[in-house]
Formats: sequence, C-alpha cells, structure tokens
Amino acid sequence: MSPVDKIGDRRIDLAWLMLVLLSVGGAGIGSADANAVLVAVGVSLVMAIKLRLVCTYFLELHEAHPRIRRAVLAFCHGMPILVTLTTAFGDTLSRLTGALIG
Amino acid sequence: MTLAVSLPPTVPTTAPAPLPAQPGAGRIPGSKAMWVGIFCEITEFALLFAVFFVARAHHPEAFQAGPERLSLLAGTGYTLMLLTSGWCVARALHAMRRGDRRATVRWMLAGFVFGLGYPAIKVFELQRNFALGLDGSAGVFIVSYYYLTFTHLVHVFWGLLGMMWVIVRTGLGAYTPEEHSGLEAFACYWHVTDMIWLMIFPLFYLLG
Repeated sequence: MSPVDKIGDRRIDLAWLMLVLLSVGGAGIGSADANAVLVAVGVSLVMAIKLRLVCTYFLELHEAHPRIRRAVLAFCHGMPILVTLTTAFGDTLSRLTGALIG
Repeated sequence: MTLAVSLPPTVPTTAPAPLPAQPGAGRIPGSKAMWVGIFCEITEFALLFAVFFVARAHHPEAFQAGPERLSLLAGTGYTLMLLTSGWCVARALHAMRRGDRRATVRWMLAGFVFGLGYPAIKVFELQRNFALGLDGSAGVFIVSYYYLTFTHLVHVFWGLLGMMWVIVRTGLGAYTPEEHSGLEAFACYWHVTDMIWLMIFPLFYLLG
C-alpha cells in the first residue's frame, strides 16, 4: 500500500472515529435540562458536523459534479437550519399551516 | 472469382476515448441512474420531514414528551451500526481503487454484518415498544416515528440487498481499479441512506 493510500485510509478512519464520538457524546444533549431552542441549536450543530463528515470523507462530495454537490449540501445544510427554525418559531408554523390541518 | 470488400478507412473500430474532465467540473460518482434514485429518496424524506415539522408545531407537548418513550440506547445503536457499515464500505472502495480485491470483499462483508445490525436492533426495539403499548394508536409522535423509521428501514433493506449483489460481483472479479462504477454507485446510495438516518435520529430520540 502506497503512502498516499495509507493517508486516505487514515482520514476515513479518523472521520469514522469522530462520527462515533459525536453520536455518543451528542446523545447527551437531548437530555440536557436547558431551553428548547438551545437544545435544538446544539442538536442541529452536531447533526450538521456529522453530515458534513459523511459528505466529505465517505461520499467524497468534493469530487462530484457541482449540481450533485450543491443539491446534496443544500439538503444537508437545510435540515439542521429547519430543525432550529421550527423549534424557535413553532407557533408561527402552526398558524401558517393551520388551514391545511383544519 | 474473388469478392473484394473494402471498408472505408475512416470508420472507427473502437469507442472514442472520453474527453478529460475540466478542472472543477467534478464527475458523477457511480452512475447517473443511481443519482436519480438517490434524489428520489431525498425528495421522499424531505416531504416526510416537512410532515414531521408541521405535526410537531401542532402538537408540541406530544413531541416534547416523545423521546422519553423511546429507547435512546436503540437509537444510538442504529447510528453506530450504520456509521460503522458506511465506514467499511468507504474502506472497501479505497481497497478496490488500489486493486486489492480480497480486502474489498472483506470490508464489504464487514459492512454487511454491521448493516444487518440495524434490522436486528429494530426487532428488539419493536418488541420493547409493543410491550410498552407503543403501537399505531399511541399518539401523533409515535405514528410519525413509525412512518419515518419504517420508510428508512425499507431503504436499508434495499441497501442490504444491493450490498449482497456487490459483494458477489466483487468476488467474481467484475470490478477493476479502472472500472468499478457499480461498487461506487452502491457506496453512494448507502452513504446517503446513512445521512438520512443521521437526520432522523435526533428528531425522535433527542429533540422531541
């Protein structure tokens, strides 16, 4: 195995280790006795970091076609933002969608 | 009498070599068809997430109390199984790129075993849930939970079937360091399915 291959494998290993640590450590955030919006921000941050790690080191999105890269990153960045926004502005969302639910 | 047949000298006998990619243009990992499927999957889950957010906005108390009703241990277990399976698949792809077919098969088999951990934990979690009365009539949080996680489970099953196919093909020598788009296409699907779980997990097990 060439040194370049070893470095590539080492990066994947480190990314996996980070993901495991964030998953185990991040599980404690939900049980934190804090403001709901603060908990949502913490959970969203951990989610965003984990998604970014998977996109970069597992999916190798930086090498992908720009359209694929942009679409997947929009999904990955949009989700943590929506988690925070819908927690902070749940009442507004409820009012806006009230007509749909009936 | 002889019959002479002459071909025009300009007819090419082999396919033209692909043009080199322009810097920064990127490439389509795996295959176009797989990315059509992946974007269908992303669209499907985006709609389900939208339903989740609206239901949560209308029933904040039910969603606030929801995570305490589920097993955080099971949720963390799913996450670790899928992440480790994804790591094995990424290592398998690297092994194939350097031409190590045996290592590719070994990493893929390890990825399959960890992937099987997901439905295995699901069996135990469902037994626990049903014993606690958490079925389809247990409220909006549990219904949303089953809707999203069962849909994800279906995608994991497709992935496990795909992984079996790719392992067999790798073992038969169908992929080479130069041409392994099938293996790469599967890896893309599996990582995206993994990413979607990383979104589902905090919604139900942490956030409420």
